[in-house]
Amino acid sequence: MSIDKEESVKKLFTAESAKVDTNKGDAYYDELYASCQKRIEELRELEPLNNRMDFMESVEEQGLERRDFLKWASATTAMLMLPASFTPLVAEAAVLMNRVPVIWVELSDCAGNSEALLRSDGPQIDEIVLDIISLEFHETLQAASGHQAEKQMDEAMEHFKGKYLLFVEGAVPLGLNGQYGTIGAKGETFVDHLHRAAKGAAAVVAVGSCATFGGIPAAAPNPTDAVGVMDVIKGKPIINIPACPANPSNMVGVILHFVLTGTIPELDSLLRPKFAFGYRIHDNCERRAHFDAGEYVEEWGDEGAKNNFCLYKVGCKGPMTFNNCSIIRYNEGVNWPIGVGRGCIGCSEPDFWDKYAYERPMANANIKAPTGGVEKTVDEFGLGLLTAAGIGIGIHAAASAIAGKKEDEGEA
Amino acid sequence: MSSKAGYKQVKRMTPAMRIIHWVNVVSMIVAVATGLYIAAPYYQTLMAEDAVDKYVMAWNRWGHFIVAIIFDVTSIIVAYLFFFSRFEKPWKKVIPTGKNIKEFGQVVVNLLTLNRTKNFDSTHSDSFNSVYFLIFHLLLFWMLFTGLQMYVHGLGSGISSIGAWWPAMLHLVTDWTLPVSSWFIGSTATGTNIMDVRISHHITMWLIIVWVVFHIYYQVWRTIFWKEGDIAIVVGGSKFVKEDKEA
Ligand code: SF4
Ligand code: SF4
Repeated sequence: MSIDKEESVKKLFTAESAKVDTNKGDAYYDELYASCQKRIEELRELEPLNNRMDFMESVEEQGLERRDFLKWASATTAMLMLPASFTPLVAEAAVLMNRVPVIWVELSDCAGNSEALLRSDGPQIDEIVLDIISLEFHETLQAASGHQAEKQMDEAMEHFKGKYLLFVEGAVPLGLNGQYGTIGAKGETFVDHLHRAAKGAAAVVAVGSCATFGGIPAAAPNPTDAVGVMDVIKGKPIINIPACPANPSNMVGVILHFVLTGTIPELDSLLRPKFAFGYRIHDNCERRAHFDAGEYVEEWGDEGAKNNFCLYKVGCKGPMTFNNCSIIRYNEGVNWPIGVGRGCIGCSEPDFWDKYAYERPMANANIKAPTGGVEKTVDEFGLGLLTAAGIGIGIHAAASAIAGKKEDEGEA
Repeated sequence: MSSKAGYKQVKRMTPAMRIIHWVNVVSMIVAVATGLYIAAPYYQTLMAEDAVDKYVMAWNRWGHFIVAIIFDVTSIIVAYLFFFSRFEKPWKKVIPTGKNIKEFGQVVVNLLTLNRTKNFDSTHSDSFNSVYFLIFHLLLFWMLFTGLQMYVHGLGSGISSIGAWWPAMLHLVTDWTLPVSSWFIGSTATGTNIMDVRISHHITMWLIIVWVVFHIYYQVWRTIFWKEGDIAIVVGGSKFVKEDKEA
């Protein structure tokens, strides 16, 4: 039994639901507004950190207008489930993003979350916000390397002790004492590296499915014993932003929330912010009417596919997946996986690679046994059991019949 | 009904118990038929109708949930009768006392020796039978909890037509199935997921079907070999036992 199982068994009856309370009453919001205002004033006093870029300048440089920015601010306010009156505060917080130090470490991963930030079709406000955050240390993006990089990280950790947000991308391999992954000139293992970086952090933000739940590195047979950050770091606020890759809007949402309120957003039982993961894909999917009607794409490119039918039979896992991509979509709302005609593969759920990412409905799936190796479908197993029971019964019945006959003869 | 000479009629199931039995039979057939469709829609609905008129998946889910609720209610009644029935006291037969274990063993021996030896009283429900039915109801309870766990996620807004208490209560009562399912199914990831609940719901369906197959076989077999009319219990409520056997 791995650590998380024991933990979750302990939590048996205490699991929190994903239910989102979108209206907490005027008194609550008035108080929150006042405290946010105070915090913003405090932040404004602070000097911008190393990163000297100015937010509004960057926005203009990218050819965007103030109007776009305000539109973005009101959309983000809504996404964070705050009343519209908070819009000016959110806008202000975005401008002050360069006052909050961020350290970003990379472990077992493909750097896909960093890529997601950098390779959008054009810098949109979300990406600019992420450009402007005071990224004190980012292993993939920084120019420094070797001892120099290590020194930079040590300095940043020392300087911003207790204040920085630690972003973690990638799973933590624990096998062979962590030797499956090392980093830096001293060959520090990923797990030690993570512990060291997390020590002085105000909060740890795990981005992407690998950092949150182990993701692909932890898929069966999990040769490196990879786990998510929450299995390793204890006693620190942890925020999980899963998905493969995590949606930049949700990363910005979490940082903004932190800048604005100094606290982390409300989380569900998997430590995911409810503002982003309180929704089920299926309940906000544009193909839902076809699901209810029983109209399914049977094969890629068939008549149903041309008519935007539901993708359930080609393996859409929207009914079991919590994420807001059906609402906020990707690339500034241009489109999202189901919109382009592919089913959801449940990338924001634990174990998604083994249990969600096959393009068949669950009942037709070859689900890998967690220990690796044997592949067996649930239905084959069930049918096998039924056959075994049938054979057993058949033998028993035949034997009974013969025995009965003999008895009759004996009696006669 | 006149008894055959030398036989005595014993009452085994009250009308309420028999009604529950047949309600469960119908519910189960509907639950399996609709459940398989929900898992993987096995017939197509490519007819030229508007989506709202077809509503095929929605009707299947509707049927599945309705029989689930009926099952819920009968299970609660059965659980109540299990402990408090004045008619029979099944719980007394499942506690592992020396007497019960011995009787359980005797019934198994009777089945394996093809009725050559029969050293137990078959007038009333024996220990083996009671345990076998307990297993069924445990499987059924697991189905109800896992099913409601998957169901409550459709009420993500936290409101329902009968009030906010309903999803809140469902979360409270069924959220524990998440870690338990992950533990059963096994997973290499951090955290628990609904897919494990779904897989275990699906596997349990097969276990219940296997249970039913043996159940029917065993009742028929007993009727033929014990010659006590066991199969009639579920229809008329009673069976017949040789007079001298009645203790
Ligand atoms: S495409 Fe997927 S998420 Fe959309 S309705 Fe169908 S099953 Fe649900
Ligand atoms: S639709 Fe599903 S698989 Fe695609 S990004 Fe969203 S949660 Fe991930």
